[in-house]
Amino acid sequence: MSPRNGKGRGAGWPSGGADSRPRSHPRSHPRSSLGSRLFLAVLWLLFGLPLPVLALWAAAPGWAWPDLWPAVLGGRTTAFVLANRQSIAGALTSSTLYSLAVVGVTLCVCLAPARLLAFGRFRGRGALEGLLLAPALLPAMGFALGLYGTLVRLGLADTPAGVVLVLSVVSYPYMLRALASGFETVGPDYGHCAANLGAGPLLRLLAVELPLLLPAAVAGGSVVFLVAFSDYFLVQLVGGGGVPSFTGYLFPVLQSPDRALAAMLSLVFLVVPVALFVLVEGLVLAVYRRRGM
Amino acid sequence: MQPPIRHSDRAPSPRAPDRSHASARRMAALCPLLVLLVPFLAGVALTAAQSLGWLLPIAYLPEQVAQGLSAPDRWAGWRQLAQPHMAGSLLLGLRVAGVSALLSVAGGALLAYGVWRLPARMQLAALVFRVPLVLPHIVVAFLVIVFWSRSGLVSAALYQAGIISGQAQFPALLWSGDGMGMVMAYTYKELPFVMLLAVASLRRLDPRLVETARMLGAGRWAVLRDVVVPHLVPVLHASFLILFLYAFGAVEIPLLLGESTPAMPGVAAYDLYFLRSLEDRPAAAALLTLLLLCCTGFVAAYVRLVAGLRGRERQL
Repeated sequence: MSPRNGKGRGAGWPSGGADSRPRSHPRSHPRSSLGSRLFLAVLWLLFGLPLPVLALWAAAPGWAWPDLWPAVLGGRTTAFVLANRQSIAGALTSSTLYSLAVVGVTLCVCLAPARLLAFGRFRGRGALEGLLLAPALLPAMGFALGLYGTLVRLGLADTPAGVVLVLSVVSYPYMLRALASGFETVGPDYGHCAANLGAGPLLRLLAVELPLLLPAAVAGGSVVFLVAFSDYFLVQLVGGGGVPSFTGYLFPVLQSPDRALAAMLSLVFLVVPVALFVLVEGLVLAVYRRRGM
Repeated sequence: MQPPIRHSDRAPSPRAPDRSHASARRMAALCPLLVLLVPFLAGVALTAAQSLGWLLPIAYLPEQVAQGLSAPDRWAGWRQLAQPHMAGSLLLGLRVAGVSALLSVAGGALLAYGVWRLPARMQLAALVFRVPLVLPHIVVAFLVIVFWSRSGLVSAALYQAGIISGQAQFPALLWSGDGMGMVMAYTYKELPFVMLLAVASLRRLDPRLVETARMLGAGRWAVLRDVVVPHLVPVLHASFLILFLYAFGAVEIPLLLGESTPAMPGVAAYDLYFLRSLEDRPAAAALLTLLLLCCTGFVAAYVRLVAGLRGRERQL
């Protein structure tokens, strides 16, 4: 799909781009605005199209092949969502809460190791980093099915705690990487200054490092949240229906032939991550503005 | 905690105790992660043990053994894997993961280059590429069905254009045994991931390098090949490896877009574990252990391959 787009763009370039280039400043981007617009249109067609199509499907339960535009619009899926609002809201809330808990757990657990990975120079560092990142690279099923019996014996199966534990295991490497590169960007000097001025490890972490690491923590936290919130298999396995999740609610509908309802619920799914990201971006901006950074 | 002081070789006396102190501090820094690392390693170890018939959730009682029912021997689970459909499933996994990771990396690099070259005022509008990052895998699989199935939108568009005269004339892209639907879903989901990393990396590339290459007479493809791609290579290698490993072992997209024979390796293990008799549990565990070993092997081989390529470049 994409290589063809690349070629299409290349073919579109020369005619529009040739005459404007000599006039442009050497450091400005040389591509003509026609080529840029074409490229942007391809980008929107490729990545922006799914959302309107989902919305159209949700609004047109009777849309049938070969109509390119639905013959009639109807409110059946909206009525379904309204009628089942309690179970939908329950599933969304549960998913949001356990995903936020996963973000919290991974943030707490990764801070000290991230500092070590960023500043520590010692033998076996590469091997250690590989080991620490392994849970995100290796198939999650490989450890989850082995651990499942133990979780049952420990009483963690079918509980939110078990779900948070397993999701934290597969998602902490993203937090670790983000925080480690955050520490690398900030550098060790702020921490050293605070230590020289007599701050203990905890004060140094809370008052100096954590505020500086905010962008890295937000980036890592967003990925961790998305991984946890989008996960279907692990939540079903460990939550076993005892922990409601929106993906668990959505999956059987996606498998059913009811495309309109599947489209509607997919859109409902997106509400939480999108709202949360807008909120977090706003909060980070507000915090930095207040601190004058 | 004090700033790390690097001891030179000239001060030998405090060195040995201090080094053990530093490594103790290192261990202390890693302690919180043990909460998550121990369950992971325990899970992997338990899966491997269960593949050999140890620590299974079921056991044979003495009276069952007296009736002639007996536990299979140690390697029964592994022997059960030596079947042609298992090889087919691993090959399908390799092909789907390899093709989708390759397409995502190649397409993502090209599109990222395009985004990077957009004028500043268009950068905001280009953020649309992040949409699939928010879509969960199962919804991306659903989108592939909506667009590319025989009753999908592409088929409807071709019908309206008069190119096909019925659903049956539209090629069976999904569920046709070659994993095409899964490749499309993975590629679509992972393109923005590569683009995100590649655009971030390109922001550290001086645009004057591209201008200079153009002024010195390099064509568009030469610029891409000799300036942009070499700059992106580390990012592209890392993302290829991540995407390949994920697609090789994941189950969510194959549960919607895959078939039962040949099944993706993850789904084959899932079926053995949940849909068959309890006696197949060792085989399921053996298959999962095999997948873990394969993935570890891929990482080792890939890292060595990349290091070899780099070494050769340095020689040139």
